[in-house]
Amino acid sequence: MDTARNVISTLSFFVVPLILVGFPLYGLYKRVPVYESFVEGAKEGFQVAVRIIPYLVAILFAIAMFRASGAMEALTRALDPVLGLIGFPAELLPMAIIRSLSGSGSAALVVDMINQYGEDSILVKMAAVMYGSSETTFYVIAVYFGAVGIRKTRHAVPAGLLADAAAMIIAVWTVRLLLG
Amino acid sequence: MLNYIWAGLIVTSFVFALGFDARDIAGDRYRNGQPLPVTLTFPEGYDPAARRVPVEIRIEPGQYASLYRTEERPAPSYAGYLLQTQEGAQLRFAADAKLPEPLATIGKVSRSRDEELQGRLVGFTPPGATAGVVFEPVRFVKLNAIASAALDFAKTAAELAFGLIGVLALFLGMLKIAEDSGIVYALVKLVRPILRPLFPEVPADHPALGMIALNLTATVFGLGNAATPFGIKAMEELQKLNPSEDTATNSMVMLLAINTASLQLVPPVLLLALMGTGINTLIFPILTTTVLGLIVAIVATRVLGRLPGYRASDPNRRAPPPAAAEA
Repeated sequence: MDTARNVISTLSFFVVPLILVGFPLYGLYKRVPVYESFVEGAKEGFQVAVRIIPYLVAILFAIAMFRASGAMEALTRALDPVLGLIGFPAELLPMAIIRSLSGSGSAALVVDMINQYGEDSILVKMAAVMYGSSETTFYVIAVYFGAVGIRKTRHAVPAGLLADAAAMIIAVWTVRLLLG
Repeated sequence: MLNYIWAGLIVTSFVFALGFDARDIAGDRYRNGQPLPVTLTFPEGYDPAARRVPVEIRIEPGQYASLYRTEERPAPSYAGYLLQTQEGAQLRFAADAKLPEPLATIGKVSRSRDEELQGRLVGFTPPGATAGVVFEPVRFVKLNAIASAALDFAKTAAELAFGLIGVLALFLGMLKIAEDSGIVYALVKLVRPILRPLFPEVPADHPALGMIALNLTATVFGLGNAATPFGIKAMEELQKLNPSEDTATNSMVMLLAINTASLQLVPPVLLLALMGTGINTLIFPILTTTVLGLIVAIVATRVLGRLPGYRASDPNRRAPPPAAAEA
């Protein structure tokens, strides 16, 4: 396990640099005007940031209220024995619930947890993995089935939610195993 | 669904805050209007004419415990100063004083003016010795707290979003290069053979498979904006194979399940922006989780599809596809 962890931590230094070097290199090889493409894509940065503001406000303030009222503490204490059985921290419960419902909402929760626990806390890492390893089930269903007019979705919702639930628990365990 | 959860959060906060505040009022937790006995000494001497006199405040633990009925113990002494005006003397604790509960809360609530716990001094006969200090009445602490939390975080949200612009631009730029250089097309060839067993209803040479392959490869590279149009095209192709108009086929459910499990090598741009280089260590946990989640999604889709109820609603079973009918 330790060797695996070492290999992983060494490899992980290359992830971001490889994206930054690899994409433009491949682009040059394919004779893409890399600089112009980059600028074209980067223009969206502002729009994306502005687009998430309403979602961030909606989620951050509601969760902040929930925590300030003492309700979060009560919920955490009430669910701790149940969630403790599968080793799932109660602090991540809001994330697990909102992940399938709203992508921007769960990103906002990651932001909230960074504010709350600091970037290096294991809880934030778990939340980030939850966010990064799964897609918003209800959004995908709405967009894809909506596009072709499918109304009877059959087992799409249960299968999606089952996979989400599994991913949430797996996220907690892999972070604990690989980074814990 | 999200509507109810969101509204539920807000309403629950209000109910909880109200409950806690009612409990505090019923138990008179902050002993509003009752003086806390303190002993004052003046390290620099007492000057009745001075407006501001430094003072050392001692709170006797026994008296503190019996007034507030708490286990918390005050520190041996606190720095502070006496503010003398025509209306009387006011005692102020230094802003950095480590106060025990419930003094800390009282301080926090009255801290809107200056950063100090402050109270009116009663029974004070200069120069010194014992006196009582009456604090500003404290009510509805939690209601106050949820309101200011809401306002604070609304502000934080906008600040955070603006802080993300740079990193978002960086990675969106990179992804645009990837998109323009056709990394997606290069990988479709690799993905296609894996897809066949997952979509047995789709004929081998059907364009639906190509679209599904494009959709998945775009997802793998975190090209969310590119993946969605491919996914929708794939759905449209699958719909052409669907004998029913409004009921999902097994292939459609499979495509959805794979998309919701979202196998991605490059994490979402937003996460990159949030975690900075911290993302490095998260890549492998994300990969592991996403692969295992994908397997669960595929297995769940297959297993659920075999359940009698879902089997009966399968459009391909109810009305066999035209090709099968001819044979």
